[in-house]
Amino acid sequence: MSTAGATPAPRDEGAKLGFRLTLPAQILVLFISAFPLLMQLYISVTDWSPLSGVGWWNAWEMWNSFANYTDLAADTRFWSALQRTAIVMLVCVPAEFLLGLALAMLFADDFLGKRVFYSILLMPMMVVPAVAGYMFFMLFQSGGPVNDILARIVGAPVTIAWLSDPTLALIAVMIADIWQWTPLMFLILLAGLVGVPEDQMKAATLLGANAWQRFTTIVLPKMKTIIIIALAIRVIENFKIFDTLYIMTGGGPGVATETISVYIYKVTTQDLIWGYVAAIALAILIVLSIVAVYAMKRMAKAREVPA
Amino acid sequence: MKRSVPFEIFRYAAILAAMAVTLVPILWMVSMAFKPIGEWSATGADLTWWPKQPTLANFEFVFGHSTNDLIVALDHTAVKPILSSLLSAVFGTAIAMSAGTAAAYGLSRFGSGQNLPLALIQLRLFPPMAVMIPVMIMWAFLNLNDTWWGLALIYGIVTLPFAFWLMKTFFDDMPREIEEAALVEGCSRLRVFTRITLPMMRAPLASAALFVFILNWSDYLIALLLTTREWVTIPVYMASLSSSMTGQLYGAKAALGLIAAVPPVIMGIAIQRHLVRGLTFGALKQ
Repeated sequence: MSTAGATPAPRDEGAKLGFRLTLPAQILVLFISAFPLLMQLYISVTDWSPLSGVGWWNAWEMWNSFANYTDLAADTRFWSALQRTAIVMLVCVPAEFLLGLALAMLFADDFLGKRVFYSILLMPMMVVPAVAGYMFFMLFQSGGPVNDILARIVGAPVTIAWLSDPTLALIAVMIADIWQWTPLMFLILLAGLVGVPEDQMKAATLLGANAWQRFTTIVLPKMKTIIIIALAIRVIENFKIFDTLYIMTGGGPGVATETISVYIYKVTTQDLIWGYVAAIALAILIVLSIVAVYAMKRMAKAREVPA
Repeated sequence: MKRSVPFEIFRYAAILAAMAVTLVPILWMVSMAFKPIGEWSATGADLTWWPKQPTLANFEFVFGHSTNDLIVALDHTAVKPILSSLLSAVFGTAIAMSAGTAAAYGLSRFGSGQNLPLALIQLRLFPPMAVMIPVMIMWAFLNLNDTWWGLALIYGIVTLPFAFWLMKTFFDDMPREIEEAALVEGCSRLRVFTRITLPMMRAPLASAALFVFILNWSDYLIALLLTTREWVTIPVYMASLSSSMTGQLYGAKAALGLIAAVPPVIMGIAIQRHLVRGLTFGALKQ
């Protein structure tokens, strides 16, 4: 600003520097949101596909007057994939939460070997998800170790074909997800549990409160925000479930483990109807954006709580 | 609080059970990586929990010096996928960390870019699958398909939210007296940032960079969509190691899985202290 005079005020210098420092991030965000979003919107009202022989900018030649969106409403494979994603979420997230909470309670005070156990129990969440998928692919082979353990328990050979049975395959991929992400719940909930004041717990004990009463009246209320954050993170990430699942079953047998990400992946790479994919993706983006605003408000509130 | 003896017994029993469940899948893969081909899919009474004849043949196979009793030779070895994973993750981390750190400082100190926190959380919320169509078209247009630098660019953007949020909470926590003293001494604000703040933040910067690196290194889906042959990453390469002719190459895949799994596990344990902060976008500081 030339009108500000020869020596700009320090505040002005700060604002300028702040603008320059945030510029690269702003450009990257714009580069990945604004233009792609418009492109997605444009393609979603056409029959365009990479094999259609025209550039995407000429997709208007294949305008199909919102047929993709009406198709979507009637696409049973899409809705059952969405339903399956919801089932996986409704089983995995509560299971991870309860197991993580139970583990966190065991780790609330000091005991011999705590740090070693803690580090080992966190390991699954650091394993590359695709590799975790391969681990469980091996474990659930009909001649694999899971059946071997079962055989030792029942004392007779067990040859369950886990990944070829529609129901068992879904259970297997959920077990893999629970194995990998319970540590994340454990980690976050333990951090919250440590923040519960010790003296309140002691006072409650002196007043004759039993463990369950202490848990429901002191621990749970103190951890409310942390629990919401932990659940929100897992719900968001679980909704995207792809890597482990795709490596284990490829969405099969048939479509038995086809979640929303796997469905979109298949339509993108096998059916190649990108106009339709763009419509699905946009519909999902709009719903998730609303969720994002809500989650953001929650997180902003949480940050005011001293942790 | 003093715990009773029965509680201690219960605690150790429960933790040992959890440890067993945690370790069995990992140990099975480690064991598989050192099994000779004859033990790969041995079942029933022949199933071996630990290799009877441990061998390095699987590693030799993926690096191309031996065909490991299989008729097939690999059309390319694991060297380039490892290079691809490394380059894309390292440069992706560099992009996310430089843009994220600068923006975090700009917001934390000068209040610039008020839109970034929400925009970046939204970016993280979206399933990559739902934004990949435009990305694939753009990457093809920019000739970035099937290159490690194309992957590095998208990784840098995808992990930018974590870099930004982590660094923002670190900057917010940092006392400002030293910066203010340097300003009074006549340093420019940019100089204060580069010469005083950044060197002081070396440890948090390193933790954040490791955190972002783990995320980039762990990707499978994006590489699956954006690379086809030349620059596939380790997970994509690993998943491709089976064919209708030879079936599953169990041992070779396990060897690759082990190579892919070791770096993030070591790094993750090294930055354990900051994991909670990173995973919750700084909402929780352990």
